[in-house]
Amino acid sequence: MNRRTFLRAAGVSLALPLLDSIAPLRAAGATPIRRTVCLCTTLGIHGENLFPAKPGRDYALTPYLEPLKELRNDFTLFSGVSHPEVDGGHSSEACFLTAAPHPGASSFRNTISLDQLLLEKLPPATRFNSLVLSTGNGGAGLSYSRSGGMVPPEWRPSLVFRQLFVNGTPREVAEQTRRMQDGQSIMDTVSAEAKRLQGRVSATDRERLDEYFTTVREVEHRLKQAEDWAKRPKPQVRAQPPTDVQNAADFVGRTRLMFDLIQLALETDSTRVITLKIQGHNSVPPGLNVTQDWHNLSHHGKDPEKLAQLRVIELEQMKLLAGFLAKLKSAKEGGATLLDHTMVLYGANLGNASSHDTRNMPALLAGGGFRHGQYIAFDDKNNTPLCQLYVSMLQRLGIETDSFASGKGRIKGLELV
Amino acid sequence: MVALGALMTGLATDAAAADSHFARTVQPFLKEHCFECHDNEVQKGDLNLTALAPEFRAPPAMVTWAKVLDRLESGEMPPKKKPRPPQAAAGEVTRWLNDNLEAAVRERQQREGRVTLRRLNRVEYQNTIHDLLGIEVNVMELLPEDGIAHGFDKIDTALTLSPVQMEKYLEAADLALDTALGVGPRPQVVRERFGGTNFLASWATQSSRILPDGSLVLFNSGYSPTELRRFRSPAPGRYRVRVSASAFQSTQPVTLRVYAGNFNPGGKTKLSGHYDMPPNKSAVIEFTERLDGRGETFKLAPYGTITWQNQGATHTGPGLAVQWIEIEGPLEAQQWPPATRRQLLGNVSLDRGTLADAQTVLRQFAPRAFRRPVSDADIEPFVKLVQERLTRGVPFGDAVRVGLKAILVSPRFLMLDEQPGKLDDYALAARLSYFLWSAAPDDALLAAAAKKELSRPDALRAQVERMLKHPKARAFTENFTGQWLGLRNIEFTTPDARLYPEFDELLQVSMVKETHAFFDEILRQDLSLLNFIQSDFAMLNERLAKHYGIPGVTGLEMRRVPLRPEWHRGGVLAHASVLKVTANGTTTSPVLRGVWVLDRIIGRPAPPPPPNVPAVEPDIRGAKSIRDQLARHREVETCASCHARIDPIGFALENYDVIGAWRERYRISPERGQRAEYIMIAAGGRDHRVAIGPAVSATDALPDGRRFRNLEELKKLLLDDKDAIARGLTEKLLTYATGHGLEFTDQRVVREIATRVAGKSYGFRTLIHEIVQCETFQNK
Repeated sequence: MNRRTFLRAAGVSLALPLLDSIAPLRAAGATPIRRTVCLCTTLGIHGENLFPAKPGRDYALTPYLEPLKELRNDFTLFSGVSHPEVDGGHSSEACFLTAAPHPGASSFRNTISLDQLLLEKLPPATRFNSLVLSTGNGGAGLSYSRSGGMVPPEWRPSLVFRQLFVNGTPREVAEQTRRMQDGQSIMDTVSAEAKRLQGRVSATDRERLDEYFTTVREVEHRLKQAEDWAKRPKPQVRAQPPTDVQNAADFVGRTRLMFDLIQLALETDSTRVITLKIQGHNSVPPGLNVTQDWHNLSHHGKDPEKLAQLRVIELEQMKLLAGFLAKLKSAKEGGATLLDHTMVLYGANLGNASSHDTRNMPALLAGGGFRHGQYIAFDDKNNTPLCQLYVSMLQRLGIETDSFASGKGRIKGLELV
Repeated sequence: MVALGALMTGLATDAAAADSHFARTVQPFLKEHCFECHDNEVQKGDLNLTALAPEFRAPPAMVTWAKVLDRLESGEMPPKKKPRPPQAAAGEVTRWLNDNLEAAVRERQQREGRVTLRRLNRVEYQNTIHDLLGIEVNVMELLPEDGIAHGFDKIDTALTLSPVQMEKYLEAADLALDTALGVGPRPQVVRERFGGTNFLASWATQSSRILPDGSLVLFNSGYSPTELRRFRSPAPGRYRVRVSASAFQSTQPVTLRVYAGNFNPGGKTKLSGHYDMPPNKSAVIEFTERLDGRGETFKLAPYGTITWQNQGATHTGPGLAVQWIEIEGPLEAQQWPPATRRQLLGNVSLDRGTLADAQTVLRQFAPRAFRRPVSDADIEPFVKLVQERLTRGVPFGDAVRVGLKAILVSPRFLMLDEQPGKLDDYALAARLSYFLWSAAPDDALLAAAAKKELSRPDALRAQVERMLKHPKARAFTENFTGQWLGLRNIEFTTPDARLYPEFDELLQVSMVKETHAFFDEILRQDLSLLNFIQSDFAMLNERLAKHYGIPGVTGLEMRRVPLRPEWHRGGVLAHASVLKVTANGTTTSPVLRGVWVLDRIIGRPAPPPPPNVPAVEPDIRGAKSIRDQLARHREVETCASCHARIDPIGFALENYDVIGAWRERYRISPERGQRAEYIMIAAGGRDHRVAIGPAVSATDALPDGRRFRNLEELKKLLLDDKDAIARGLTEKLLTYATGHGLEFTDQRVVREIATRVAGKSYGFRTLIHEIVQCETFQNK
């Protein structure tokens, strides 16, 4: 099956020269393209509704797993996992993919996130290195650079769609190209500036200027790449450009749009690495017959009324996830499904949001060619580092490493197909 | 004596001598008093002192030794139950540690400077670029959130650079330059007065009333679609708004709320302000507001009136009569090209400028951007960028723009350029202005730097006075209190509407205003900084006074109100803002509040919680008291070492609920069938029934045994050590002012400053001056 037929089968039509469209595939050679999607919901998931009573392959479905029952053999659920020394309540959002210790501490500095490390190890041949997304209004996403700097997320699907699939007018492209060329000369000029400064600064400052330096060189490189890509037409998709959901409280609408967009981005091989933060908030989500705001419900204090409303919200999230996974599964790619070639990590930075507890994080891995279909329960008193799962993910991509952050070695019980 | 001599002359550099002193004096001491818990086997608190070499120049050993010293000096270690070490021996060890640490840190500071080259944070970046180009466009929202360290967003170690950050700087520079140069066609400028009758959706008229004079009366304070539909902003920019309105069917003023933004469902809106409109006669209010997009508008609504009714024609309750609203803008486009283009380019035209013009423009722009004079050689690379383009036939406007943009992403604009040792006048000017204004030095400060005046204490003092009186000093109040007292998080939680029906937007806005006004009052009058702990006054408006149960305060303005003890206020710990940001909207946690007070107010932060200990799970059903839940903290010895310090302070605050109101009973959410008492809370024109449960007990004792019954008594105990309070605040200010976490050598500076300020009645303005005059501030 060539790429053209695959894209057609996946509901995507291509109207571009064949050479361009197959370039990424050819670069990848015979092995399938491997993709990674990381999702984190920031107000936790009430464990009692999620985790089955018994681990193993024949676990009984729980309320939250009910929507996923058709996909039972496509994911593995983990309990008793967390990031050791990641505490600090909501500030742990910053560490879901980094596992940097003590995000609430005064001297905290974040470390590189799983997705950004992937990009370093496997520089992509795609138009976009990665997509960093959030359902909030800006703020922070899940991705952090090597120096611990936050990679700001895009939250307007309309803009992402335009970047991915809408070609500018020749004039816009020319203007864009000019700005990218100007950008490259500017980077060149300021790096010479930095070099001049280096002569007269102290050793620690020199490290800072080095950071500036590397940054500028990297940006120059990215601008060059972007300029090259700008000359090539973007893939055409049948989907209508999305209209942004203005209401930030409408996490259902916003998450659904993002999932659709992620699917399109993966199918067209516009990028292979995507993170999405499903941002909890302190307002009442519309359309769910919920009367209290989400953040407040997460601090349920065991109040049955609050727990009932929280369940509605969280169940809706599980349905959205199930819909997303089902779509990836229905898209075929080279004799397998898109889901087989895509690792989808879903979890929460809080284990028990009511008490801001960061232990016992809910975590689920779907797709990616693992032998799924089980619930793996680790010790809920003495947690296993979630980063062991991240090591398994890195190894799946062919990256030779035995560790990531607090994870040494692969996670036990999860095997390849 | 040999070892001591070495310490005094060669200090730690004479490693052999230091080692022998270490072996003879220090190690035996550690062996006797510390190894029992902190040896290779036990390693309590992950600390193994047997393996710790006498090395002070670099972490981690240096950091560990500093901790050892801290615990010894504070008497926290050895633990209470163990025998006290003889004073002489302990004194010798602490002296040895002090000398070594100080020498090592000082040596590095002299060589490298204390503060590392740091970039501007996004608040500073925005203020700087606004001043530089004379624009107001929101560039901050383009930039990634900054890293935070030591409680602030302006710390060198956390302000890192990344490719994304740089890409965003390029984007922000484009937006800023586009705005300043006024590219594209002139936006349409609107100036129009809208009568009260013509801004309602037709279906909303049932809830309002038209008066014979054409005024529109608005009654509903809840949801009401009363935005001005006849106006849509033609372009982003600043708009001047005037509103004529009066109170209706009321002998008291009625409060008007104005919002700006996009009022379609879920659109982004912001509060422009609250205004009291008088009864019987109309008054006109005027303000300017920035609209960030096209198609935005303004909305008027009353506050404090009935939530909702649809009998506007006959409703007898108070309302707000609006005669007209007038809007003018965007103000920037009244002149075109905008004044900012002329400011930047002079009279040079965008398409006929020459290379010489470009040189003039850049020569004028660069020193202001770099916050110091520049030579021709300095601007040469930027001129070259322009020249290359002009040679290729690129229009002047596009070419010069590339040079300006390069300056806006160059290291000397983005970073604070400082050399090791004493800061030169320009570097000092920049440090000062980013401290007090969160912005670059203005012309007056740069002129003072050029004349080398800032090296003179009296001239520096005069500049600080001038700057504190300048409107830009607002940035100090907002950014410092926003982080020191966490006010930036005021919207982080929305209180549970069933438990706290009286909470509303005006209350939240007033909370922040109270703390800002309180801080300003103390700063302006040079009042004692101890007022932050306990004050005999508060800064209140009517809404907040009502919340606190304080009579006789009317209107929206914040004003100074003398306090009585029975009102349970005074000091920031009794500010509703602080009490709200330390709660989660449903419950309060003595642990979280205790940790917060130890860090922010007392300056003795508690260590992070041990791993693998679950947090207490809140329970609002009213069956289990928080005191029962936390009892284990005192019973289990390992918990008690920290929680005996944390929890009592938190308990003292238990009398204040999640929105900072005084309480003697907890509000609860009873389970079905559970018996409970109820109270009535009036809000939005009706009474709400709220269940109450167990009584609050704020009684507790500090670790040293001193008991208190409530916050009032705890505050008295805290004030037993006034210098500790002064030191705590000095540490926060010094961190904020220099953009660097405190180092070992800073302890002495902090102590000295605190002592001097104590001698001047703990004046807070005095403290600011002392900070600016101290060596830590004036050296890199």
